[in-house]
Amino acid sequence: MALPSSILAARRFGYGLKPGETPPGDVDGLMLQVQRGAAAKPRFPREGLAGRRETIGRMLTVRAVEAKAAAEGRPNPALRQDMQAEVRRIFRRDALARMAQAVSSENGFFERLASFWLDHFSVSARKAYEMRMVVPLFEAEALRPNLAGPFRTLLRAAVLHPAMLIYLDAEAPTADAAAQPAQNTRLARELLELHTLGEGAAYTADDLQAAAHILGGLAVDARSLEVSFRPAAAGATRLALLGQSYADRAQTAHLAMLDDLAARPDTVRHICGKLAVHFIADAPPEDLVADMVAAWQETDGRLDAVYRAMLSHPSAWDETPGKIIPPFDFVISGFRSLERQGGEFSAVARAAEDGNADWRQAAPVARRGVAVEQPDVAYALTLEALGRMGQPIWQPPSAAGFPDGAAAWLYAGQLRERLAWARLVARTLGQGLQPADYLEAALGGTARAATRQAVAEAPSRVQGLTLVLASPEFNRR
Amino acid sequence: MAEPLLPPVSRRGFLKAAAGVASLPLSTTATLAATGGDSRLVVVLLRGGMDGVDLVQPYADPGLESLRPALALSPRSGLLDLDGFFGLSPAAAGLMPLWQAGQLGFVHAVATPYRGMQHFEAQDMLETAEVEGRAGRTGWLNRALSLMPRAGQRRAVDITAAVEPILAGPNPVDVWAARPDLPLCSDEMHGFADLYAADPGFAATFADVAGAGAGGLFDAAARRTAIADMARQVGVMLNGDYRVASFSLEGWDTHVDQRGQFPQAAGDLAAAIVALREGMTPAAWDATIVLALTEFGRSLRINARGGTDHGAASVAVLAGGGLSGSGLSRRAVMGRWPGLQDEALFDGHALMPTTDTRDVAAAVLHRQFDITPASLTGKIFPGLAFDAAAALLQAG
Repeated sequence: MALPSSILAARRFGYGLKPGETPPGDVDGLMLQVQRGAAAKPRFPREGLAGRRETIGRMLTVRAVEAKAAAEGRPNPALRQDMQAEVRRIFRRDALARMAQAVSSENGFFERLASFWLDHFSVSARKAYEMRMVVPLFEAEALRPNLAGPFRTLLRAAVLHPAMLIYLDAEAPTADAAAQPAQNTRLARELLELHTLGEGAAYTADDLQAAAHILGGLAVDARSLEVSFRPAAAGATRLALLGQSYADRAQTAHLAMLDDLAARPDTVRHICGKLAVHFIADAPPEDLVADMVAAWQETDGRLDAVYRAMLSHPSAWDETPGKIIPPFDFVISGFRSLERQGGEFSAVARAAEDGNADWRQAAPVARRGVAVEQPDVAYALTLEALGRMGQPIWQPPSAAGFPDGAAAWLYAGQLRERLAWARLVARTLGQGLQPADYLEAALGGTARAATRQAVAEAPSRVQGLTLVLASPEFNRR
Repeated sequence: MAEPLLPPVSRRGFLKAAAGVASLPLSTTATLAATGGDSRLVVVLLRGGMDGVDLVQPYADPGLESLRPALALSPRSGLLDLDGFFGLSPAAAGLMPLWQAGQLGFVHAVATPYRGMQHFEAQDMLETAEVEGRAGRTGWLNRALSLMPRAGQRRAVDITAAVEPILAGPNPVDVWAARPDLPLCSDEMHGFADLYAADPGFAATFADVAGAGAGGLFDAAARRTAIADMARQVGVMLNGDYRVASFSLEGWDTHVDQRGQFPQAAGDLAAAIVALREGMTPAAWDATIVLALTEFGRSLRINARGGTDHGAASVAVLAGGGLSGSGLSRRAVMGRWPGLQDEALFDGHALMPTTDTRDVAAAVLHRQFDITPASLTGKIFPGLAFDAAAALLQAG
């Protein structure tokens, strides 16, 4: 039996099925999601973009004042601690809002693309104290509005954002910049290997050094987080990259270099191939990638055209389930499938704001109130679960992001955490739900006979619901 | 009165029952002890279909050894003799001190009116006591709260994650959430193994998860400890304001390797009851009855995987100081034993039900909360007659 394409699309290109939502089953419907998503205001940062910049300014001012006072022998540790607690609280609310965004959004393909590009331009909130405030801003203002336009626009927005420069070690300009030509080798390497050309692309040590020197002119102001660019002193070093000289570009050398890199054939191939691997298959068909590359070239790098080319290829609608979905996708799909009345996840997220993992060490006591209202249970189901499964929000392991291979997320520790999560969420949100109904809601006809049988014969309803979430088909796309 | 209506099953009782003593004379005249305002009730739901014949084994019935040689025990092989006819599984040895103190009872060959084989439907019947499950149904324990004469007794608590069907309904029920990381039980392990059988990647990975042992997802010792901790806390809550509590114990769906699985579940049940008592003051325990019920029993025949498939009647477990002085404290297994000869079996393979689970629950509700027979048979268990419940309560 052919699977309705809408169900396949919701699982492969979105965050799975949600009761009451009618997912699109064609290319135009998915592209409409991209258009709508790019125009929508995400749920984070919670105080909005301008509000977040104000918050960051306040935080940095407090820190500077406190540092100055400390230097003058009048330290005020309470002030620093209050600010740190405030930053932790804001970061947690933003991370829960990122989950809520993915659970609630009707633009599933856009949300998946946002996660793809967040991973492509990996920055970590763990890098520095202020990054907890900056990384959500980075996703909201640099990535989301730009991921359906030209790649070079997205590349500029991502690489020149303070989040990227802080993450990849751009230093504030020194008073004596002429003495030692600034360079940022780390940013240069990640720019070439990860963001544009890709690993193994043909570039030389000289190319890398030129990029490092050009990018060395970028700096982030410690008080305002404003990014500035100071061109390298003329003649100080060779400023040619991949046969293109930027020596005479002065104030725009960095922009010219980024634009050129965005259009390099290696870059086009790298990005198209990575999208195809992420969304379609570990070894995507050659003609799929060729179609995407052609779309890129026809439109001067418009990403929406590349997405459309990908979706238009027959392999995009091949029913064979393959890749194990990453932890974020697993948890989000699970919550979406349990949004029966709407608002179930919101209740969990509200409770999770006050939770923490202390219960694991505490005396094993029951807590008064239904589990969904228990801060620690809610926290265990959300941020703690993502951490234990190895994909904490806005905290990738390295600039290379999370692994994306078909079996990267299939190992004993991972499965254990998924089963434990499935069990807990079934107990918490599955009350009154018939396992057979839930199986349809979550898998929409993709369920195998073995899964149907196991669910129907489960020794309790909670276990029946658990089996749906644990099933291979729920965990593969 | 010459004979208790439902005599304790003894060899003599068994023979008599087997000879066809079936109809019960109407009698609700027995003086059933009223209790003070501090009676307590704990209902433990044994989800998955508990094998009552494995927990309370009729070792003197010759059919046991021939039907299930691999599971049948006798006092010579470790079974704990109860009354000369039945013995308790050694896995539940922790309960024997309660038996000796007259604070433990069993009603055998008990079942709800449900005769199908589906866990979910059977559990609905067990919890709602309605023949046809309907939307908006309520649990019998919640309905019973309305009829408890003293408002102070109406404080009920469900220890799980949300209100379970047995306590669902119009009366307010507090929920206490157990900690989120209770290790899973072994019947679930087999469910996952079946789920993954056709997916080699998942099957191999799950084998590692299942084999992790201590600290793993299926750590049986950690599970036992967590269950005991939870039950102990229920006991503490019952010392205070709460008078009614309910929680579930799983692990009873022993389709595979019953010799390995059943002792774990039976041990969990014993540990829960013992810990519940530990959490309570002696006075509170003396006012408490624990009632452990399952949705159905299991086949008497062992299947090809060393387990048992779904059956019919099982055993109801009663515990607590509140049993003392009532017919529920007889130091003999209660109920009418149907026998294990082929023609006595349900559908040729399972224990024939002879007592309705609702009768046992009605007897306990009457004993603990003075709920009238009219209310019990009208509002809590519609259509039930009170005779069998009354008979259970008569001093033996």
